[in-house]
Amino acid sequence: MILEQVAFASLAAVAVVTALLALLVRELVHTILWIAVFFVDLAAIYFLLSAPFLGVLQLGVYAGAVTILLLFGVMVTRKRIFSREAVTGIGPSSLALAALVVILLVAAATVVPNTEVPVRAYDVTLLSTTLFNQDGSWLLLLGLTMLGALAGAIYLVREGRE
Amino acid sequence: MGVLDGLFGWAFLVPLFPVLAFVIVGLLGPRLKSLEWGGWVAVAFAFLAMVTGIVIGVGEMLSPGRYTDTSFTWFTLGASGGSGTFPNGFSLVMGTLVDPISALMLLVVNVVGFLVMLYSIEYMHHDRGLPRYYAELSLFLAAMNGLVLSDNLFEFFLFWELVGVCSYFLIGFYYEKPSAASAAKEAVLVTRIGDVLVLLGIVLYFATSATSGGGAGWAASGFKFAAGNGPFLGAAVGSAQSTTLTIAGLMMLGGAAGKSAQFPLHVWLPDAMEGPTTVSALIHAATMVAAGVYLLAVVSLFLGFTPEDRLAIVAIGGFTTFFAATMATVHRDIKRVVAYSTISQLGYMVLAVGAGFTMVGLFHLFTHAFFKALLFLAAGAVIHAVGTQDLFRMGGLRKAMPITSTAFLIGALSLSGIPPFAGFFSKDDVLGSVYSQTAAHPLYWPFLILAYAAVFLTAYYIFRAWFLAFSGPAPRDPTLPDAHEGSWVMTLPLVVLSALAVGAGFLVFVPGFAHLFLAPTAAVGLAANLPPVYGTTEILLSVLSVGLGVAGLGTAAYLWGNGRTVTLADDSAVQPVRKLLLNRYYFKVGYDWIGQRGVYTVARVGDFLDRFVIDGAVRGMERLFARLSDGMRRLQTGVVSDYAAYVVSGVVAFLLLLLFVAPWIVTAWGG
Amino acid sequence: MTSLVPLDLLALSAALLGIGLFGILTRRNFILLLISIEIAMNAAILNFVIFGALSGGPGGVSGSAIAVVLVGLAATEVAVGLAIVLALNRLRGSINVAESATLRL
Repeated sequence: MILEQVAFASLAAVAVVTALLALLVRELVHTILWIAVFFVDLAAIYFLLSAPFLGVLQLGVYAGAVTILLLFGVMVTRKRIFSREAVTGIGPSSLALAALVVILLVAAATVVPNTEVPVRAYDVTLLSTTLFNQDGSWLLLLGLTMLGALAGAIYLVREGRE
Repeated sequence: MGVLDGLFGWAFLVPLFPVLAFVIVGLLGPRLKSLEWGGWVAVAFAFLAMVTGIVIGVGEMLSPGRYTDTSFTWFTLGASGGSGTFPNGFSLVMGTLVDPISALMLLVVNVVGFLVMLYSIEYMHHDRGLPRYYAELSLFLAAMNGLVLSDNLFEFFLFWELVGVCSYFLIGFYYEKPSAASAAKEAVLVTRIGDVLVLLGIVLYFATSATSGGGAGWAASGFKFAAGNGPFLGAAVGSAQSTTLTIAGLMMLGGAAGKSAQFPLHVWLPDAMEGPTTVSALIHAATMVAAGVYLLAVVSLFLGFTPEDRLAIVAIGGFTTFFAATMATVHRDIKRVVAYSTISQLGYMVLAVGAGFTMVGLFHLFTHAFFKALLFLAAGAVIHAVGTQDLFRMGGLRKAMPITSTAFLIGALSLSGIPPFAGFFSKDDVLGSVYSQTAAHPLYWPFLILAYAAVFLTAYYIFRAWFLAFSGPAPRDPTLPDAHEGSWVMTLPLVVLSALAVGAGFLVFVPGFAHLFLAPTAAVGLAANLPPVYGTTEILLSVLSVGLGVAGLGTAAYLWGNGRTVTLADDSAVQPVRKLLLNRYYFKVGYDWIGQRGVYTVARVGDFLDRFVIDGAVRGMERLFARLSDGMRRLQTGVVSDYAAYVVSGVVAFLLLLLFVAPWIVTAWGG
Repeated sequence: MTSLVPLDLLALSAALLGIGLFGILTRRNFILLLISIEIAMNAAILNFVIFGALSGGPGGVSGSAIAVVLVGLAATEVAVGLAIVLALNRLRGSINVAESATLRL
């Protein structure tokens, strides 16, 4: 199915490029824009992988909430929204380290087939039963974690701390 | 045996009284308003100990025998009903043993001890350290009594070390004086050589006895001093164990040489004169130095020596007798002269014990204790009166100090073996006894001759001292203070000891007392030779030794009598000999050389090892960890990205492990 | 039915993880650091989705379920991270991680 190959290749290229751009552009606001594109692009990949629920979740949580949060963070820490980030070098050793990880991971991934494999969709109701079985312990744990994080965040930003 | 049996169970009181004195005086003495009160307390306890000791001694005389009271088990190894060398376990006990020789020693130790303590009241009254002095002296008395009452070799060794430590304390009594402090160290180091040998000897006896039939019983009994051990050694002589036993006996001789200051370990005793004169009288003349002879005596009686050991003992004793006497002839210090005399006389005792006449040796020990303590106390009285120990500054003290002068004279006569003084009887017995063995052991001859030569020297050096100090018109040094006699506290001991120095020799003719010397063979069954019965030969020998003594006396009178002083010309042929003697045959120099060349080299090597190898290892580790932690510290930048880099490095390492190392391991070991 | 090459998918997620790591190692701005973490996190989530999609059936559902939880966790982490950014900004006046090397507020 050449069409799907092309679609995946283009989406993957966009993901890599936008991720790199997000890290390499000088202005933080542009970074936020590129990361939003990256998140949307990933959502499209999820749709391609027959996981539409996750695609929607990605759009809602990442492309929506997280992007807005990051933008908000940039706005409150900057006197001027458009200000240039101090130039930081690429750092050859860091680059090499990251590249090494990628190479090793790909080398480790060669165990999977290099031929086309059908991607199968699943029933979303099955996902919900999986998430809510055992009295919803998965979601309960996630909720408790969020609650703890919320308390920690409030503690960090509360007034009167100097 | 019979009515008196209960008496000997109380023997433990004899050491107990001085222990009480030690505790009371040691704790309360310094707090008392008058320091002398502490002294009187110690004297009172010493008196009690003396009375108890005399009672027990008299009891032993009336009813000779061996009375043991083993009231306290020290420790037990193994259980009864086992198998092996000690089927009934091995236990060491602490107990008292009253037998003729310990009764004899009790009399000596406690009588001299009490008299010296009494005498010290005045002799030491000026000293701020009086409570310390009396506490240490009481402790010594207790230890010495414990030593003579020991009923096994281990207990003996315990007290042996205790008297050694008391000797160390008391030699170093004037510890502010560097010479006294170093003399104390010297004494303890030199005697330590002997102590180590004794311990090794005990171990050797143990090892030997534990592997032989009869000896296991002895070891299992806890090294008891008991009759009947002789046979096992006797049976071992000539067997494969004979060599081991000879070595063990030589080690005992080494220990005795250390304690009794025999050649070549004699160097410490003259230097020990740095202690108070009273200490010299009690410890370094009458009692502690006799412990070495006593050790030889008990080993000789209860275990026996091999013939090779006996020859070695005779050689050491005979040679020391002469060797020490030569050095005594030239020294100027009155105490040192008497100290060399002590070494020489101890040589006689060792000689007698070595020749097999244990009781003869102990008899000489008995008489010597009295006349040598007398000489020391008289010398102390002189030193107390004139404030110097230099014989060549004294002179003419006879008029000012008639009692002391007479006492010293009696002591000198007794020492020289002039009849009817005590020394005559014992020394004559020693010489006659050794002579009686020369027929069987021709190798004893040279040492007997040396011993005879020493008789002449003894009379010469002691009368040289007497003439220098007491005869003549006036002191050679006119700046000396006017001498005067001490109070009764000082004169009473002199009088009592003078009486003993005159009369102690006659005690052998008292039937009860003679038991102490005859009983070991007669009633107790111990193997000790009796002195020969006097016949024509023996009387000729007596005449010879008395003649030598008189000759020595005459020589001394001719050279030093009536205030004369002999000055040798610088180019005299005798001058090098005199220099050799004054330098004590360069023994101290030699030992110092050994100490510096040998010990110092070892110490240098040890220092090098310590400093560079051991410390080097420690410092190397320290530097290694310092470097490591320095490097680690640099990694701790506090920048989050850096930590992330470490984490990523870890991930890389893990991936490498997973991708390359793990498959390799699996293929290599065929997982 | 869609058909895809699994190795390509995994290569994409590995590349994204590498980009994220690179950002974490080099960026000093705290917000950029957070963004880098998000990229790496997304790579991880993508991996779960990929394996879920490839295996299909109940196993595939598990992959998606874990991905859902991870998305929640990632969002939480961003929230806490931004709280730290705000606190740092208020206390230090800077969100440069190299300047807050004491690692305490």
